[in-house]
Parts: sequence; C-alpha cells; structure tokens
Amino acid sequence: MSQYTLGFSSMDMQVREGEGGITQVVLDGRFDIAGAQEVDLRFSALAGSAKALVVDMAKVSFLASMGVRTLMLSAKTMMRRSATMAVCAADENVEKVLRSTGFDEIVDLYPDFAAASAALTKPKA
Amino acid sequence: MNREFSGTIEAAMDAEGWLAAACQELRLPSETAFAISLCVEELFLNAVQHGGASAVTVALNAVADGLCVEFRDDGASFNPIVAPVRRIEQRCDDFEIGGYGTGLLQKFARRMSYRREGGRNLVALEFDAVRASGVLPAT
Repeated sequence: MSQYTLGFSSMDMQVREGEGGITQVVLDGRFDIAGAQEVDLRFSALAGSAKALVVDMAKVSFLASMGVRTLMLSAKTMMRRSATMAVCAADENVEKVLRSTGFDEIVDLYPDFAAASAALTKPKA
Repeated sequence: MNREFSGTIEAAMDAEGWLAAACQELRLPSETAFAISLCVEELFLNAVQHGGASAVTVALNAVADGLCVEFRDDGASFNPIVAPVRRIEQRCDDFEIGGYGTGLLQKFARRMSYRREGGRNLVALEFDAVRASGVLPAT
C-alpha cells in the first residue's frame, strides 16, 4: 500500500462529539507544514472549548515539527483550562516523534479510541 | 537527485512534496521516507525562521546500505550536532512549544555531519534504506 497520496499537502480533520463529553478529532493525512497550517485554527478553537479531547492519529502517515507544535499548543491550552487531552492510534513513526520530544509526558498515548475514551471518562479518585 | 528552493515557508512545503514523491519513486521503506522528510522539514524551518536563509539546496545520494541527504543553506551559521537538545521531562504546563528539532534530527538520522563552507551550512544526514524485508531496488 502506498504511504503517500498525490496532492501531499492536504490533511482532513473530522470532529465528532462523543459520549461522556468527549470530543474526538480524527486526522487523516500528513501532519507536515501544510497539514499543520490547515488544522491549526480549528485545533486552537477546540482546545479552548472542549472538555475532553481525543486526537485519533490512526490515519496520520507523517508528523514533524509543525504538527508537534500544533499538538503542543493545544495541550498547553487544555492543561491550563484543566481540561484533558489524549492521543490514540499513532503509528510507530508518529509515536517515535511524540516520545522523542517528551510529548507523552504531558499527554497520554493510547492504542485506540476506546481505550483513550475509557481513560478520560473514568472518574478521578 | 537534487533541487534548489528559496528560503520561504512555501518553499519548505514544496520541498516536502518533492521529497515525498522522490522517496516514493525510490521505493524507500516508509520509515526511511518518514525520517528523511522529518529531518528536512526541521532543517528547512530552522534555516528560514532562525537563520534567515534565502536559498536552500536538498540533494539525495545513495551511500553504502543507505541514503545521504545533503542540506545546504545560506543562513546564519548553525551546527545541529552541537545545538542543545530539548525534551519535555515531566508533566507541567509551562513547557516550551518549540526547540525540539535538534533532538528529532539526532533520533531519526543514523549519522549526521556538519560543516560551514563558503558562507553556507552543509548538513549531511545518513539514513538506512535497507530493512529486513528487502533492499533498496537498483536505480
């Protein structure tokens, strides 16, 4: 299967309001400079309003500096609002980027949406 | 193969598209293509945003068991090998938003060298182009 699609620059972002007040963001494409520019504003708006955000990266084939920047800005906004954020289903390379920067210290990574959703809706002890 | 770009963010996006297509044409393993694109984005952004570069050249060359990416820019002198590596080490909300690139370069390139030559930065990065399931086809 090809890793890349023609047109390279596009990243699709779908937002779904799920059960338990969880907002699911499904990204599809390359989180490169162009991809980050495409979703930056919507991410920022969500980070300022969502109670709990799960970013589903199953269909993200690439992540680099600008994409990490978008995720970190949202994480910072959400932490300061005492809201929660999680990332799920990142592939091996994407996860390596997140762990290399220490992003996993501030936002928990989960294998899939169900696991992330369950963790975020679990009442805090 | 090599290509010249101007020192702009738009050109950095063009470089990413060109590289992704080149990696696909060379049938590189996806982790190699990923690592190359990641490192070039980082170097390009750094050259443009911090070095004020006006011209960038990216070249791909085959080396033993791998691929070498040569990145040249005419921006301010910057040696990524000795630049500080930043990583978030604990849960806090006052972490820095940028500055993680050097660490990513060191993590994703198998070897990196730097020299300043004729008023330009020249970073050479080496990547594996072979994996257990096969080898890079002859080109």
